[in-house]
Amino acid sequence: MNRGSTTLPAALAAVAVSVALGGALAELTRVEVVLARQRDRAAAALAASDACLADAVVGLPPDWDFAALLAGPDGTLGTADDGVVTALPGCIARARTAPRPGGAPRALLRIDAQGGGGRRLLDAVLGRDPEPGIPALVWLGAPPPAGAVNGNLAVDGADPSDPTAADWAGLAAPDDPAALDAWTAAEGTHVTASARTRPPMVAPAPPITALGARVAASHPSGAGALTPTPGPPPQLVFVHGDLLVTGTLHGAGLVFVDGTLDIRGSFDFTGLVVVSGGVRVAAGASFMVAGALWAGLPAGSVLQVDGTASLAHAESAIHTADALLPLPRRAVLLGMRDL
Amino acid sequence: MTSRPRGAGVVELLVGAALGVAVLSMLTATLAAGSRLLVAAGARGEAEDTAQLAVEAFGFDARRAGYDPAGVGVTPLLEARPDRVTFAADLDGDGVVDAASEEVTAHACLTSPGRISRIVGRQSLPMADGVTRCGFRYFDVHGTAIAVPAGGLDAVGRAGVRAVAVDVTMTPTGLRAPSQRTVLVALRRSP
Repeated sequence: MNRGSTTLPAALAAVAVSVALGGALAELTRVEVVLARQRDRAAAALAASDACLADAVVGLPPDWDFAALLAGPDGTLGTADDGVVTALPGCIARARTAPRPGGAPRALLRIDAQGGGGRRLLDAVLGRDPEPGIPALVWLGAPPPAGAVNGNLAVDGADPSDPTAADWAGLAAPDDPAALDAWTAAEGTHVTASARTRPPMVAPAPPITALGARVAASHPSGAGALTPTPGPPPQLVFVHGDLLVTGTLHGAGLVFVDGTLDIRGSFDFTGLVVVSGGVRVAAGASFMVAGALWAGLPAGSVLQVDGTASLAHAESAIHTADALLPLPRRAVLLGMRDL
Repeated sequence: MTSRPRGAGVVELLVGAALGVAVLSMLTATLAAGSRLLVAAGARGEAEDTAQLAVEAFGFDARRAGYDPAGVGVTPLLEARPDRVTFAADLDGDGVVDAASEEVTAHACLTSPGRISRIVGRQSLPMADGVTRCGFRYFDVHGTAIAVPAGGLDAVGRAGVRAVAVDVTMTPTGLRAPSQRTVLVALRRSP
């Protein structure tokens, strides 16, 4: 019997089968690794497209419609930059008109995002928030300057008359969230926020100029509608130039000051106070608002609170102001689809 | 001088044969184990891929539910049951949701055989077989799970749904450990 004649072929066959099995296992592993990598890329691109969409929507300024968005940065329809939206790096965002114009304002936003080696496209439907303005008590058109509050600024984001209303932020401005937090911390005990006041929020500048034009065109009352006695009815008030308050003034509704609001006495308002310039509350003066304050704070203007300023959330007061004159609204995401 | 016997003795032959059988047995066992590993790895890979595809299809449909560029008021959720969910979207923006097209898609968990299917119009596409556990959960605006009766949520209940989750567990034949996926997708609604 010759053992070598059977054992060697058997061993060689076993080795061949083992090599085949090993190869198959290696190929299977390679395919799974490739699939996992593709999934990883797809997930990264999906996250990038969602982040880009969220950033683009949040960055859109509150407005009444989407005309400015569709016209693009140059503000003129029919040009190359129509619908161009500033987006995160690695992402292109472009708005276009929604089908069937009319009714509630809408726009479509195409997002083309790349991330993690993948690419995703999506279409989003934008609309305007039913709630007017933004959920903040003080909305500034520029970052608040350091040392602005030497007196006391008190903010209360809870609405005592409406337990269902969501709490508001104390401050909103076009600045980095960390910078707004740092500003609040730097002001120390001069700025006090109630427990239910939400942290400062980032928001584009309020559309002061457009709002002022709308107020002016709506046959508003003048500064005389602000009364020294409490309880005036809600009105639309437009003040040409600065408003200097030396005595005691009360008002309700919406007051637009086309200049600086300079309070050296006492000013008590229920509703929305809009100031195109700066705000100054002198030492010993008092500024009380049940509603919100929007201030443009253009370059060269001041925000200085040496006296006492107190702002409290009052949902009904803002709705009353909105009923007098429709206020701008934030852009919101109504729907989306992956392409 | 004496001559030594030549050739193999019986004992040597038996020992050699035993060693050969032992080696061949070990080789056979190794090959069998390798084959089983290959089969198991293939089954595991297939199960994971299938489960992933099933939840990706669900996420794709859930993300676009309620897409309504024409502003006609598309209801994103047409059906919300523990074992079945139906999404609607106006994908072409013509103001009409065509129930026979991809504008209405359902995802259903079936029990015998265990399967999750994506249903478009009259077409039912099995997304995964070998499903041992499958179901849909619904959450309100606060992220709280909504209790769903067997017959599903009514229109009022569906209007309160802000997110939908799918849970899929597959146990492929020959494997002990299951493949599991859970995906939670927020629904976009007009505020």
